[in-house]
Amino acid sequence: MTAVIAASNLSKWYGNVLGLNDVSLEIEEGITGLLGPNGAGKSTFMKLITGQMKPAIGSVTVRGRKAWNDPGVYQGIGFCPEQDVFYEDVTGWEFVTGLLRFYGYSRTEIRERAARALDVVDLTADKDRLIRGYSRGMRQRVKFAQAVAHDPDILILDEPLSGLDPLGKRKLIKLIKDFKRQGRTVLVSSHVLPEIEALTSRVVLIHQGKILAQGDIPFIRELIEAHPHQISVRSSDPRALAARFVGDKSIQKMTFGADGRTLVVETHKRDAFFSRLTGVVLEAGIAVEEISSPDDNLQAVFEYLVGK
Amino acid sequence: MATVREKGYTHWDGKLGERRFPWWPITRTGILLAFRKKRFKFIFAGAFIPSIVFLVGLYISERLEDFKAIIQGSDRLLNIDPKYFATYLTGDWLFFLIVLVLAYGAGGLIADDLKHNSLQLYFSRPLGKKDYLIGKMSVIAFFVLILTALPGLLLVVFKLVFAGSFKFFLQYPWLPLSVLGFSALLTVFFAFYVLLLSALSKNSRYVFVLTFGTYIFSTVLYGILNGIFRTPYMALFSIPANLRQAGAFIFGQKLPFAFPAVWSFAVLAGICVLAAAVLNRKIRSVEVIK
Repeated sequence: MTAVIAASNLSKWYGNVLGLNDVSLEIEEGITGLLGPNGAGKSTFMKLITGQMKPAIGSVTVRGRKAWNDPGVYQGIGFCPEQDVFYEDVTGWEFVTGLLRFYGYSRTEIRERAARALDVVDLTADKDRLIRGYSRGMRQRVKFAQAVAHDPDILILDEPLSGLDPLGKRKLIKLIKDFKRQGRTVLVSSHVLPEIEALTSRVVLIHQGKILAQGDIPFIRELIEAHPHQISVRSSDPRALAARFVGDKSIQKMTFGADGRTLVVETHKRDAFFSRLTGVVLEAGIAVEEISSPDDNLQAVFEYLVGK
Repeated sequence: MATVREKGYTHWDGKLGERRFPWWPITRTGILLAFRKKRFKFIFAGAFIPSIVFLVGLYISERLEDFKAIIQGSDRLLNIDPKYFATYLTGDWLFFLIVLVLAYGAGGLIADDLKHNSLQLYFSRPLGKKDYLIGKMSVIAFFVLILTALPGLLLVVFKLVFAGSFKFFLQYPWLPLSVLGFSALLTVFFAFYVLLLSALSKNSRYVFVLTFGTYIFSTVLYGILNGIFRTPYMALFSIPANLRQAGAFIFGQKLPFAFPAVWSFAVLAGICVLAAAVLNRKIRSVEVIK
């Protein structure tokens, strides 16, 4: 698959502070999550893609064109910044139509597009209210509306779900997934792991200006050899189950959960363990209620990589 | 049977229009936001008072006999020649009103964008830094030209209408060009001056104070230095003095200060260059470290 966004040895300093450090990565069509704690360099990366900053070293291209100083590139990009970016004394309608004017549409076209974008985010009824009176969630939604109103191929969303209520989050997640289904590219940043997990399994982990890992979450998890996989098995007799695995050299550690019904196994050979578990359960007649992998998620992957 | 329709985004296959003036949305927004301030409307309307006074003077000058009782020997003040137009355009009160209009209506042009983090929205669109600055300068050009070139040219036209002949125009054919030339100089200077100050703060009120403060301080400084050194060159420190000197040169009038006008042009150009350098640096400085 062709890379839509490609960064090559990208570095950016803010005076003496390093924002991004030698980042090289390719982002393909679909949704990619940019994940990292506050100050990791997510917003810097997004600003470099959207041409708001010039890279100190390296380059970033969008569909093969350099992102810096080429306004033509931004025609196909929709950007939803993290911070509030409003003139408080304009209405939501004026905000969206005002920004649509940069694309050279006719007046009718601007009105149609603004109406459609505001309808998508359920702000039609409030479009004539001043942004000053908007709630946090409404502000977030009108920011999203301006980002999609010109129908971009690439959507760059910086913490788009922050401040939204659960219903609002659900709606926005659906909209973002709709974008993906239309074959477009979405780069979405967040420091809230479940938000990214709800959107995509393809992530870029960024920390202190460096890319820690990139790819699917299970794939990245497999690569972290230093940390064995945790497998939690809730059963009627966890101790009997543990006794069957005591001699298994592939198992690093076994602990019992506080509820007295859970056995937590740590192993590097997860597939082998699952194969053996099936046989053991059948032989011993132990009733297994639940099997889960507590560290096979983004939170765990992130913590392992960042070392927190 | 009812159908449940999911809301989703619909792809648009239309054609994008050509963007001949990418800066226009910036200008449009700037002008609209200025007129949204109630006080600004009064200030802007008040800024036309000098032009109305000069128009009345023009009318009276053509009807001296009718107004003899009113003017009572002040008719020499109503001698309509290029000096009359230069007096209007290089008058301290007009400069003051222009500064007032710009400080109130245009002081927030960049300051508000910095305050509201709007630069990131602008520059993630098909808009370059040059377009952005042209858009902002066009807002200032709109206000300055409407207070200088428009009334200046209308005064010339009304002079011809009231006189009922083209004699005045044939006598001073270069006058409209002088009006346009000096208006252009004021536009360029005030565009850089106000945008420079607007880029220095995120608070438009502070920019308002800064605009007036630097303008008045420059004159005060001139007064102090002139008192100490007793040389006309100290007028180079005063913004209005330099504008008057340049205006007198453009209208072919006697220079108000005893030094070549090129010095004043150099000072005004220097301020513009300084402003351009600061703007070039500040406009991209949206990089916030949290």
